[in-house]
Amino acid sequence: MLHIRDLRRIDAYLYEIPPSFRPDMRVPARFYADETLIENILGDRSLEQLVNTATLPGVVNHVLAMPDMHQGYGFPIGGVVATALPDGVISPGGVGYDINCGVRLLASQIDVEAIRPHLDDLATMLYANCPSGVGKGGPVKLAAGELDQVMEKGARWAIQRGFGSAADLERTEEEGCLSGADAEKVSARARDRGKGQIGTLGAGNHFIEVDAVDRVVDEAVARRIGLFAGQVVVQIHCGSRGLGHQVCTDYVSLFQKAVRKYGIDLPDRELVCAPLSSLEGGDYLAAMKAAANYAFANRQVLAHHIRRSFEQVLAGKLKHYHLFQIYDIAHNMAKVESHRVGERLVELCVHRKGATRAFGPGSDVLPPVYRDIGQPVLVPGSMGTASWVLVGTEGGMSQTFGSTCHGAGRTMSRHQAKRSVQGPALRRELEAGGIRVRAGSMAGLAEEAPAAYKDVDRVVDVVHGAGLARRVARLTPLAVIKG
Amino acid sequence: MTIRFEEVEHTADRALRIYGRDLADLFGNATAGINSLMLAVSPEDSGCVTKNIELEAVDAEGLLVAWLSELAFWAETESLLFNQIDFIELSPARLRAVVRGVPVQALDKHVKAVTFHNLAIDRRPEGLVVTVVFDV
Repeated sequence: MLHIRDLRRIDAYLYEIPPSFRPDMRVPARFYADETLIENILGDRSLEQLVNTATLPGVVNHVLAMPDMHQGYGFPIGGVVATALPDGVISPGGVGYDINCGVRLLASQIDVEAIRPHLDDLATMLYANCPSGVGKGGPVKLAAGELDQVMEKGARWAIQRGFGSAADLERTEEEGCLSGADAEKVSARARDRGKGQIGTLGAGNHFIEVDAVDRVVDEAVARRIGLFAGQVVVQIHCGSRGLGHQVCTDYVSLFQKAVRKYGIDLPDRELVCAPLSSLEGGDYLAAMKAAANYAFANRQVLAHHIRRSFEQVLAGKLKHYHLFQIYDIAHNMAKVESHRVGERLVELCVHRKGATRAFGPGSDVLPPVYRDIGQPVLVPGSMGTASWVLVGTEGGMSQTFGSTCHGAGRTMSRHQAKRSVQGPALRRELEAGGIRVRAGSMAGLAEEAPAAYKDVDRVVDVVHGAGLARRVARLTPLAVIKG
Repeated sequence: MTIRFEEVEHTADRALRIYGRDLADLFGNATAGINSLMLAVSPEDSGCVTKNIELEAVDAEGLLVAWLSELAFWAETESLLFNQIDFIELSPARLRAVVRGVPVQALDKHVKAVTFHNLAIDRRPEGLVVTVVFDV
């Protein structure tokens, strides 16, 4: 375990572990925290895991972790690691098993006071229409060969099937489809796991949440994005389901041989990797993109179910029940991007595992509607607390390859959470606070108790203070739907 | 009573420390362990569903991940839990086995993945020990 004496404090929110700490480090390791968050960080093995990522071949500048960091496996959750093309490596563990786990934010024109009488019915309808829970498949049936279309077209497939409109694509990272996906690189086993799960939420920390905009911090940007105080919005948090999990499993296994072939020595086998220029590296990237597109399609279908639920409950009772999309982001992904390294623009493979892309104003990959204000960043907090909408900044582009935090970050194991918190009691507590809860598993609810997570306001204070992303609006929950 | 496996704390996922006299015993206890993650009360019925499993890996650790991943796959896709194993062949890099198990109505949890994180089978005089981290 690292100690505070191993750290060099660079400024109010930035710490560094120099490469002299361990002989196999190729670059420094940096992380963002305040004096409270650092206590959690030093209490688990996340910094050791961050140091391990600094041994990857081709790694540039420094490896990074965000203030919501916590112990994962291989990479820490909250990790950002960039390797230089062509021979820098790509590591499936640097993306995670839930490829393109991410968040979508939909917004209405409804004020929170107008929706209160309908919240119970809305929560029930959302729970009924959005399949969730362990082992729950969805009603969307795929024709023979159609899963390939899902993997190669992503959210566009869903829109062609009638789930949403093209307007959603402009406000989705990568317009809901990564080019270069190759369904042929996805195994039969991954297809078996994913074919019945399209349009489903899953379980664990995935959720749908109806929120109110509790506070607007940046009025001008909020107005541009389409947010106002008291507004009713909806978050979706989920990913690529069993298909993505299996893609990662397949390639972590395959890369156990690849590291021997390419003479790569690693401190943790979960960090296995291959040069992006290699056959293995290219195959993984193509499969990862296919799984990422599945996740974009998944959130697109869920968004359709949510819109349908709003219509079923509110049509004839409230005007303006239609939901428009604010943005959709990924927080488990590897992308080839151009970034400044020293004086040069260099092509890098940027791994973000439990970290969100947060490109600043002027980035030409952003949709025209957001190009001058920066990319919206969606940061879900723990259930029952708060979430945040931020925008990317130039500061983030220069410090963290345009990356920021992804959520609140866990502090307590699932095992401990279930020992300390009773699901039914937690449910009563949330409902007493005005939050409707529809959850398939009380044990699962207990695992996701707010007490198991860091303070998201504090995490966001750090990224805002460090200049990685700017606060726009704070959301608080009205209804939580979970598996 | 000999401990077959025990849970160890992990912030976001689940981790089991698994014991075994030898590789076959270790794999058997790992099976019981992963089953306990997926269903709190393991079925006691003798297996009525049979599958033949054949796996290869670079080493024993890889084989263990492949084995547990196989079990997780059948649980997720066909709601099957296997609790009886006959090893036909088990070497550090290859196994063939016949497994018997039962369909279950509903699992408590799916194991999304079996990780290689810090995976190393420790060979002690009293037997084998390994800690496996599972993404749930």
